Amino acid sequence: MPSVTFEHVTKHFGNATVIGDFDLQVADGELLVLVGGSGSGKSTILRMLAGLETVTSGTIRIDDRDVTDLPPRDRDVAMVFQDYGLYPHMTVRENLSLGLRLRKIPRQEIDRRVAWAAELLGLEPLLDRKPKQLSGGQRQRVAMGRAMVREPLVFLFDEPLSNLDAALRAQMRIEIGSLQRRLKTTTVYVTHDQVEAMTLGDRIVVLADGRIQQIGRPIELYSAPVNRFVAGFIGTPAMNFLQGTLERESGRMYFTGEGARLRVREGMTEPTTRGPITLGIRPEDLRVDSTGQQSTQGPADGDTLTGRVVLVERLGGTSHVHFEVGPHRLLASITSDSLPEVGDNITARVPAARAHLFGEDGRAISAKL
Amino acid sequence: MKLLQRIALYAGLTIAAVTFIYPFLWMASSTLKPPAEVGSLALIPHDITLDNYRTMWARAPFGRALLNSTFVATTITLAVLVFGSMTAYAMARLNFRGRPVLNAAMIAVLLVPGQLTLIPLYTLIVQLGWIDSYAALIVPYLFNATAILMLRQFFLQIPQSLIDSARMDGMSELRILFTIFWPLSKPVLSIVAIFTFMGAWNEVLWPLLVVREQSLMTLPQLLTVFALGGGAGSVGVSLASAMVLVVPVVVAYAFLQRNFIESMAGSGIKG
Repeated sequence: MPSVTFEHVTKHFGNATVIGDFDLQVADGELLVLVGGSGSGKSTILRMLAGLETVTSGTIRIDDRDVTDLPPRDRDVAMVFQDYGLYPHMTVRENLSLGLRLRKIPRQEIDRRVAWAAELLGLEPLLDRKPKQLSGGQRQRVAMGRAMVREPLVFLFDEPLSNLDAALRAQMRIEIGSLQRRLKTTTVYVTHDQVEAMTLGDRIVVLADGRIQQIGRPIELYSAPVNRFVAGFIGTPAMNFLQGTLERESGRMYFTGEGARLRVREGMTEPTTRGPITLGIRPEDLRVDSTGQQSTQGPADGDTLTGRVVLVERLGGTSHVHFEVGPHRLLASITSDSLPEVGDNITARVPAARAHLFGEDGRAISAKL
Repeated sequence: MKLLQRIALYAGLTIAAVTFIYPFLWMASSTLKPPAEVGSLALIPHDITLDNYRTMWARAPFGRALLNSTFVATTITLAVLVFGSMTAYAMARLNFRGRPVLNAAMIAVLLVPGQLTLIPLYTLIVQLGWIDSYAALIVPYLFNATAILMLRQFFLQIPQSLIDSARMDGMSELRILFTIFWPLSKPVLSIVAIFTFMGAWNEVLWPLLVVREQSLMTLPQLLTVFALGGGAGSVGVSLASAMVLVVPVVVAYAFLQRNFIESMAGSGIKG
């Protein structure tokens, strides 16, 4: 039985449609991540589920109960906010227990739950402090504790890690993940950060302009994006794109763009789409074979691209090599120690099985070349 | 050089401070002087006497006026804080049809000088039969557009996530206002309280219009009637009655002023 269901949910602000005909089911115990850029509607969806935002049309169910018109307090959901939303004038203990006190839960039970959450989150020494006496990570834990003591059917996280620095963000990401697996509470998690989405989500929903672009397990989104948006959004550094057309030549299919000519994988059915085609290749899939070696070939043929290096970012383990092929600027992630220099010509191999093709409308023509 | 600059600065500040405080101190000390001494500019009276206060107290019901003023000003202040913050909360944080119009109307109200509404308001009070009643003194002041705007401005800065959290925790809007917003808004609440209280306390013109019965008169009103009407008889007695008027305001200010200073920094919402 799904824990959360959206049926044909729409949301208008004035004349603007923010969410259009949104359908989604979240399985019991699942951690589902809503990911998208700003203005994609991800937070609006979460706030509608929380009851903080009204629904223009459609139905939202939690545990098979229609909650569309219920106020937040009657929905049995708890939420963790980006800026935590802790009451500044109350101690950690009061912050944790307020929701329970308002629900007239017996004193002993409140104490038990607060103690349980405090222990789980390492908040025991902080219970009598005010939020301003806590660090960012501690505040984040209090916010999570406040959601946990409610023992809700669904946890909602609204960009909970955005205010933390990089190291703390990585640590809290792991903590949230392990906590959720331990509690097995259905969770809907909103973020703009695709790394968070990939590492935390059982499934990911990619949103753009209030519409679902793709739903799937993290690895599905990575290896088989259904459109150019998802392809560009999932994965860091972002996928390289080349513009061109498909051509058939002596029985073989080629992708041809300015300065690039790549053979399409054998056995691929001929696409019905004519016109402009976008080829996508992830930086980590590009194999830079030679460094500083002058290419003798003209335009690359077959499975290689030749270009001139314009920037090298040395990150220690992996380095980013930016190079130009015709009008396209591409990026290759290289783990090798010997890196090309700026101005060098390099040849990058494009494994046919790793390339993605997108038609004029941005939809994937086929998962693979 | 640094030192000289400092000395000059402090000398200037001292002169300014003395200029402001001297008339007040002179008034305070003169209330304790016998009639022959009142004309002198000295701050320390030769012969200290409470005669001025005794005379004043005997000639007009100042005790009663003090009670009236306290009751009227306190009621108005509480009402302005409660109703004002309820209105401000709605204007700042709730979405409803017509809110922008209401906001504009509120600002427009500020542009209307009080003297303009004096006569219509007076007529209204007469029609209602409220002449010579506390209602006439209090009801017209229950709402205050300036207070609402000040509170609204402050409420706009409180993070939305606090309201969201409180709603998720199961609070009603009223509860959010009084248990979350009020504790966070102490600085602006005390400023509004002081301004409202002082405004109500010092009001003379309106009470003069709607109250004729001596037992309902507020302190400044009675003082005006007493001093200007020649009831005081001497400068010392006039000053003594002015003293009675000013002391509660000073006390109220001293009591609330630490809230001005109390920093809003570290409200503890964000890292």
